[in-house]
Amino acid sequence: MNITELVVVLVTIGIVFAGVMTFVGYGSLLERKISAWVQDRIGPNRVGFDLNQPILGLFKGFFGLGQPLADGVKFFLKEEFIPKNVDKVFYFLAPAVALSTAMIAFAVVPFGSTSVVPPLVDNRIDLAVSQPNPNYQHRVYPRTHGELDKIRAANPFRSEILDQARNQNPNIELPKVAGFDLGRSEVRFGIAPHLDIGVLFVFAVSSLAVYGVVLAGWSSNSKYSLFGALRASAQLISYEIPMGMSILVVVFMVGSLNLQAIVEFQARHTWFIVYQPLGCLLFLTAIFAECNRLPFDLPECEQELVGGYHTEYSSMKFACFMMGEYTHMVTTSFLLVAMFFGGWNIPFLVTQDFPGGALGWGAKLVVFCGKMVAVIAFFMLVRWSLLRFRFDQLMGLAWKGLMTLGILNTVGAVVILQTRPLGELSLWLLPAWSVIALLAVTGYSMTRPKAPNRFRTGIKRVDQRLPSHQELVGNRV
Amino acid sequence: MFAMTLHEFDFKLADYYGLLLFVGVVIGFAVILLSLSQIINPLKTTKVKESPYESGMDPIGDARQKFDVKFYIIAILFLVFDIELLFLYPWAVAAGGDHPAIPGGFGDIVFIEVLLFFASLLVAYIYAYRKGVFRWR
Repeated sequence: MNITELVVVLVTIGIVFAGVMTFVGYGSLLERKISAWVQDRIGPNRVGFDLNQPILGLFKGFFGLGQPLADGVKFFLKEEFIPKNVDKVFYFLAPAVALSTAMIAFAVVPFGSTSVVPPLVDNRIDLAVSQPNPNYQHRVYPRTHGELDKIRAANPFRSEILDQARNQNPNIELPKVAGFDLGRSEVRFGIAPHLDIGVLFVFAVSSLAVYGVVLAGWSSNSKYSLFGALRASAQLISYEIPMGMSILVVVFMVGSLNLQAIVEFQARHTWFIVYQPLGCLLFLTAIFAECNRLPFDLPECEQELVGGYHTEYSSMKFACFMMGEYTHMVTTSFLLVAMFFGGWNIPFLVTQDFPGGALGWGAKLVVFCGKMVAVIAFFMLVRWSLLRFRFDQLMGLAWKGLMTLGILNTVGAVVILQTRPLGELSLWLLPAWSVIALLAVTGYSMTRPKAPNRFRTGIKRVDQRLPSHQELVGNRV
Repeated sequence: MFAMTLHEFDFKLADYYGLLLFVGVVIGFAVILLSLSQIINPLKTTKVKESPYESGMDPIGDARQKFDVKFYIIAILFLVFDIELLFLYPWAVAAGGDHPAIPGGFGDIVFIEVLLFFASLLVAYIYAYRKGVFRWR
């Protein structure tokens, strides 16, 4: 890694940090605003920038835009007391783990158009003879200026591409802007965008978030915290399995775990929500649970557990949990958009052939982030639309509903993709199979008796009809 | 069936340096944030403040109590299914796509083996289901 790459990486990290932290702050403001609008209130509208300045002064009290800054200052200045009997090491470790796992997972998430570059020479190895397959050798890019232009439009600043192009064909003129060799710099939207383990890395790191929650609950030495942590750990690990299963078909269709490759695939074909509506639904449900959002916010439901695992935390340590949660929301929303809603791609409008250069990246960045914000707004609307589950319903949904759906969806789709019974048309069997599986499981679950009666602990299931309101109350009136 | 899908098989360790740097920066950020607030903010403790929160009452007994065995069972099942799932990703990457890494996508024999693997997952699932593990009472 030379000094240029180091600077590029550091600048990217700085931009990501600033972007995510700003969004975390303003996401909390957005959440309060949406909550207020849903409840026909006004929401925060007092704290603005009252600086008597020509530009910032315009925002005086405007939509409470100063609120996140005020919150941030308050997190630093408020007292941060530590209860007496806590396990000090883990008590300090837990918020750091919660924040850093959420942030680290963001490393491989692309937030703009970072195209997968066509290989210059296709060096696929033929396993039978353990040497480069001569059948693929004809694919040498770029052979013509037109192909070079295509590569340049897709990814103008990747140095090794241009270097390889120079090696392949010395006659090609490499692009120069204002006499400056573009091949020496690199623009990227993502900290480590070229990792081939992409999705797997996000899953691996974000499942470490369980440790933050469990350590917080265990070290706090409070009953509410412990129960919150227990619920949280059971919930998080339960919903990880449907989450992993929902994207298996996507990975199988693309043949790569790289998020850019998945986005590129959708740009060339169709969004995966068309092929995998059920997978998208499973993933959406799972990320709601993974982010502890309503209707799955049992780990910290304030009516039962005060604050759940962060009951005993105050000031900045509490803020770390909050930031971790919002960062997790941002990460998973980006994942959802990248895997099922086409990333930076809008059919017929912002496509693969969209003009390159600054305009192209800008448009793709805006589209990608706009979709992400839309998903987050959806998160916040759902919070005020659905009621919280009971814990047995929560576990039942994960292990009985989503698990069955996931297995059915994956096996059916993989069999369809491998056998291809209808030739070219068999892709359209995928959504059909999704609908069939969803209807079948829903129909079966409706024939099952209601949730188990908590007051009968016998092994035998009791199929009894609940008394109606009329029967309970009617006779006494 | 699909048009061209592109693979990059060249593993470059340099791609991971940025990740390592980011991990360092994030951990440093968290440590600085927590220690800075610890230094800046005022600290006045009283006896009541120090006690764990229990709805305003004096805490009764130890907070670290026994808890239900169901949580353990769920954790064990999680291990089983998550690891089985993890084995499927390499197969999906290698055999999937329109230009699979292995020409022909491993062929039908490996595909049938994967289906058998799914069947083993299903057997474990049905066993746990019939045992009533998922019936949360």
